[in-house]
Amino acid sequence: MSISDYVVTDDLTVLLGLISVSVFLLHSLYRPQPLVHPILLGRQSEAGRVRHPGESAVYRNYGTGLLGRFPVRPEKDLNTVSGFLKPDFDSPRTLWSTKITNAQLLERISAVGTGLIKLTGLVPKESNVLLLLNDSIEFVISDFALSAHSIPSFTLSSPKLLSRVLESHPPSVIITHGSFLPHILELVYDAHEHHHTIVVVGQCDTNLLPKSATQVRIIRWDDVESEGSKGERVSGPAPSQGDVVNVSFFESTSGEIQGAQFTHENFTAGVTATRALFPPSNALSSLDTIASAHSLSTAFGRVIAYTALFEGASFTTLATSKLFHVDGELSLDDIVDIKSAATSSTPSPTVLFLKPGHVEALSSSILANAKKSFLFYPFAWRHKLAGVSEGFITRESLWDRTVFDGAREKVVGQTANTTRTVVVSGGPIDLASLTPTRIALSVPLVNTHSHPTVAGPVFASQPLDLQVFPTNSSDKFGTLAHVGAPSINVEAKLVNVQDDVVEAGGDPVGVIVVRGPPVGSLIEPTENGEGWVNTGETGRVLTNGAFKVLNTKQ
Amino acid sequence: MNLNNTTTPLLKMALTLDFGTPVNTSLLIYILYSVQRIVFPSTSTPSTVPTEFKDSYSWMPKAHPPTVLFKTYTPRTLEPFSGKDGGRILLAINGIVFDVTSGKSFYGPNGMYGNFAGRDASRGMAKQSFDLEMLTPVDQPLDKLEDLRSDEVENMKGWIDHFSNKYIICGKLVENDAV
Repeated sequence: MSISDYVVTDDLTVLLGLISVSVFLLHSLYRPQPLVHPILLGRQSEAGRVRHPGESAVYRNYGTGLLGRFPVRPEKDLNTVSGFLKPDFDSPRTLWSTKITNAQLLERISAVGTGLIKLTGLVPKESNVLLLLNDSIEFVISDFALSAHSIPSFTLSSPKLLSRVLESHPPSVIITHGSFLPHILELVYDAHEHHHTIVVVGQCDTNLLPKSATQVRIIRWDDVESEGSKGERVSGPAPSQGDVVNVSFFESTSGEIQGAQFTHENFTAGVTATRALFPPSNALSSLDTIASAHSLSTAFGRVIAYTALFEGASFTTLATSKLFHVDGELSLDDIVDIKSAATSSTPSPTVLFLKPGHVEALSSSILANAKKSFLFYPFAWRHKLAGVSEGFITRESLWDRTVFDGAREKVVGQTANTTRTVVVSGGPIDLASLTPTRIALSVPLVNTHSHPTVAGPVFASQPLDLQVFPTNSSDKFGTLAHVGAPSINVEAKLVNVQDDVVEAGGDPVGVIVVRGPPVGSLIEPTENGEGWVNTGETGRVLTNGAFKVLNTKQ
Repeated sequence: MNLNNTTTPLLKMALTLDFGTPVNTSLLIYILYSVQRIVFPSTSTPSTVPTEFKDSYSWMPKAHPPTVLFKTYTPRTLEPFSGKDGGRILLAINGIVFDVTSGKSFYGPNGMYGNFAGRDASRGMAKQSFDLEMLTPVDQPLDKLEDLRSDEVENMKGWIDHFSNKYIICGKLVENDAV
């Protein structure tokens, strides 16, 4: 047969030709596009050009750059914490289960401030108040009332620190819940030295009162508020941005108690950094509801609350963020904990600030539920994974509608449908479970690192970063996911670094020290000069500028 | 085109694997292969992490950006860094050592200000002069700069600011026997 016999074409050829062209176009154009260009993920932080012996270079966020100034406030003229509540913002939002407008909230805050000063005799800038409250609207009101009158507040990151703080830094007034009162009275009787005034929120046991009448004065919160709301409001000197708002006591990595002082400027800078965790296309707004697993008694938890208040968003916390109970700390199943944020009176959360335990429990139960649909799950998983390896993920795909949405709803209910971003902090995430978590959630996941001395995130990853790296179990950093570059107004460097490793081109490994507007100052400063604060945590810098931080318990 | 004429032969061809018309067969094979790649996308990851962003979305740069180690220099150890053998060019003002390799055209061996390379240029910067008399020999103690007028000191400080913005501060200069 000749050549012309081999290349005979007929109608069938035309049809097949059309089909093959359309299949070719489908295959090449259907390729998912990365959400963030990979070239940006290769240079996440900007490193200094010089480094001192034994240290690494100074790293800053690539967006800020080495010569850029750190942003200190979320908007112009917002110098103090009271500026977070804008009086001209009219619509109500829900704080825990109370629906309240800014004007009503400011009214209550000034009433409580006046009442506290009148009934307890607090002196601005000299007295201290210890806040032993669980996360509730009373915490926010007391916090704002005290900062407006320049009275520093003390908070504890854990109830175990209470006895040591009462001895070393006795406060003038303690504000606490009725259920925690017996524990405090016990400690006060043991201390025997100081006269305390205790303001009690909620119900308190009446048979405790006669015993305590001699040394300790107990006042009820409702009395404070009603006393303050009648009559003239006390107005003191306006607070300035360098005034100390809060001293947060926490346990350092070596087990000692340390205190970090935060000024108004630290908190405004922290709110700026927290807002920057979300890209401008996906920014926080007053339509959001933020659910946080971090207690307001920690600096990061408080900054999340301030961010919500500033944006006019609703705010609620998870059940395990309540630190102060008579029986000790609450331990709940992670999924039950997440579901506790969406009660009937709060709107469904749209932004979740969770801890690694929550996120891992979520992803494993969602995937376990999704695997129940035998037919579609293998395809769904394969397609999602192919998308992630190209840098693309979405919640609106066919596979979400058939497989994953149902699984998510079964695990956390309505929260699954409204959540649009998840921010994780409080410990490292396992690298092996990072990609399954991203697929299970299919929303931007921001991996951050926080520290008790910093009001705001220390390190934060790109929200749309979907890179997948192999784990290396021989290296203690090899099993952890990176936490990204330093936050927009923090600069970080590593100390106690081995020079020969770094000169040979290896990754610097050392202790992280940080500096910047949101970093508070320790009460007992360590030797690091020039404003650097030692976090006590070991970290490593990767070649793309991202940091990996070891779990402090290791 | 009569569809009936084409679909039945298509089915017949697919079912009987009739390789009568090679063009049709090759097109069919191509279609089946592409459809398979769409329905079952590849999820393989490379064994080593790629170092170029063009190779893969998940990549990691090969090396860290270069950083210079801050060192303590003496006049003797600073002198070799004059760019004569194509190496780094350093110069010191008021005890601060700057890496001016990027300004090789000025401070290199053939540059206008080549006298200052590898030396303490404080007096020259203050007095705005590039003469060799402004430099102290490397064996002698550092120039104390006590006899400078206040406007000359200001001028030197202005030069230090200019150098800090343009070049990297990579060390400090101390006396020969201080190390």
